[in-house]
Amino acid sequence: MKRGIVLVLALVLSVGAAPKKHAYDQTLPVLGTKFHSLPAGTGRQLVEASCLPCHSPDILVQQRLTEKQWTATVDKMIRWGAVLKETDKPATIAYLSKNFGVTNNFTPTKTRPVGY
Amino acid sequence: MAFDSIDRRRFLLLAAAPLLAAQKAATPHARESMLQMNGYAVNAETPLAVLTDYMTPNELFFVRSHWIPRTPDPKKWSLTIDGEVERPAQLTLSDLKKLPRAEATCVLQCAGNGRGLYAPTVPGVQWRYGAVGNARWGGVRVRDVLDRAGVKASAKHLHVFGSDDPPGKVPPFQRSIEMEKVLADGILAFSMNGEPLPVVHGAPLRLIVPGWAGDHWMKWLVRLSPQAESQKGFYMETAYRYPLTVGAPGVAFKPEEMSPVTELFVKSNITTAPKKAKAGHAYEIRGFAFSGAPDIAKVEMSDDDGATWTDATLDARHDPYAWRLWSHRWTPSRAGKARICARATDSIGHVQPREAAWNQSGYLHNSWHFVDVEVTA
Repeated sequence: MKRGIVLVLALVLSVGAAPKKHAYDQTLPVLGTKFHSLPAGTGRQLVEASCLPCHSPDILVQQRLTEKQWTATVDKMIRWGAVLKETDKPATIAYLSKNFGVTNNFTPTKTRPVGY
Repeated sequence: MAFDSIDRRRFLLLAAAPLLAAQKAATPHARESMLQMNGYAVNAETPLAVLTDYMTPNELFFVRSHWIPRTPDPKKWSLTIDGEVERPAQLTLSDLKKLPRAEATCVLQCAGNGRGLYAPTVPGVQWRYGAVGNARWGGVRVRDVLDRAGVKASAKHLHVFGSDDPPGKVPPFQRSIEMEKVLADGILAFSMNGEPLPVVHGAPLRLIVPGWAGDHWMKWLVRLSPQAESQKGFYMETAYRYPLTVGAPGVAFKPEEMSPVTELFVKSNITTAPKKAKAGHAYEIRGFAFSGAPDIAKVEMSDDDGATWTDATLDARHDPYAWRLWSHRWTPSRAGKARICARATDSIGHVQPREAAWNQSGYLHNSWHFVDVEVTA
């Protein structure tokens, strides 16, 4: 707890002392605080439950992969600890392939640096 | 496998703390921004238009994280030296700071910078141009630290370990580097551009390997271990490997047909160019160039799809393995769409190719960088 208070204080001090805070557009979100959303559709809840504990949606929505590539990726993530029932795999892969296929477009979120 | 929100908050707070000092030297970049590629684990690239300084400001320097990091507690932190050494040791930051100081101004580029430009597409962070920056890294030489420990002749590879344990069954990010390279050039950095090394960039200690891709630049260092053999594991034997021979786009190689990504490939990018121009008027084109070789010999510009080239002017500032800024006064001769591009040649003769060699993990992209300009009469 004490460490947490020290860290919060450090953040407050660092922001408060920023002499060039105006240099960054204050309407932009701070890096790491705003994420893309996943499009609606069958399989979205499965993806949210199995992928988002470790990844923000950003890493998913920028991919441009074939169904074969998504299948390999999902299998790799299951080997690495993602929680996904075997019976839920087809719907998960279908959702990812449909929404984030090879013609997918992605625009990174413009952010301002942490502390600025 | 799940991280709770406290981990994320903690990371952001840790990331902010060192900025207290860093802000004093920050370069103002009005309305400039970082391009967030992943919210957590945080990955962000720098917009090309911002990469116009010889030294990339700390807060605008690209951020690469494999997962939400478990960063060391600076008060409890120490660096373990073990393995093939005569005198294993535990070194605190103050121990390290008693050694002769060393600095290197050099490029750090993520091995996957440009992955998003490859076709066919490959999985991973879809970096485009900005997972690269140039900074002055300060600390102590790896050689000085290991000399104190007395490295045995049997040691051929330096195994390096960071503190960021992965979630679930994800294999740990552990690497090794040939002793010859790391003893010649390696630095253990605790400062960046004259300020304390920010946590997002590996504080309290990060390995600097000038000329080599970022996969060797271990952040949050906790252990160095000289060993006879190279490191094993996913991030040595499967990931961060590049084909030994050039294959057709889309054709995957087996791990044994590849070797670890090491030296950067020669590359230049255009950072400053007009979107529209008038024929007969002069415009300044600017950019940067770097390589796994110590210097850049020349940068050329073309506005006719590479049929003819004109030498750009190299900036006088240069350091071994740093980038060279360059500029070129370009006067379009006729109306229409002009495709300008740059091509770098390094100090040992490597020439930037028109097309980077496709590889299944999307590493070391270095195709000519084309920019379209609409020229009116």
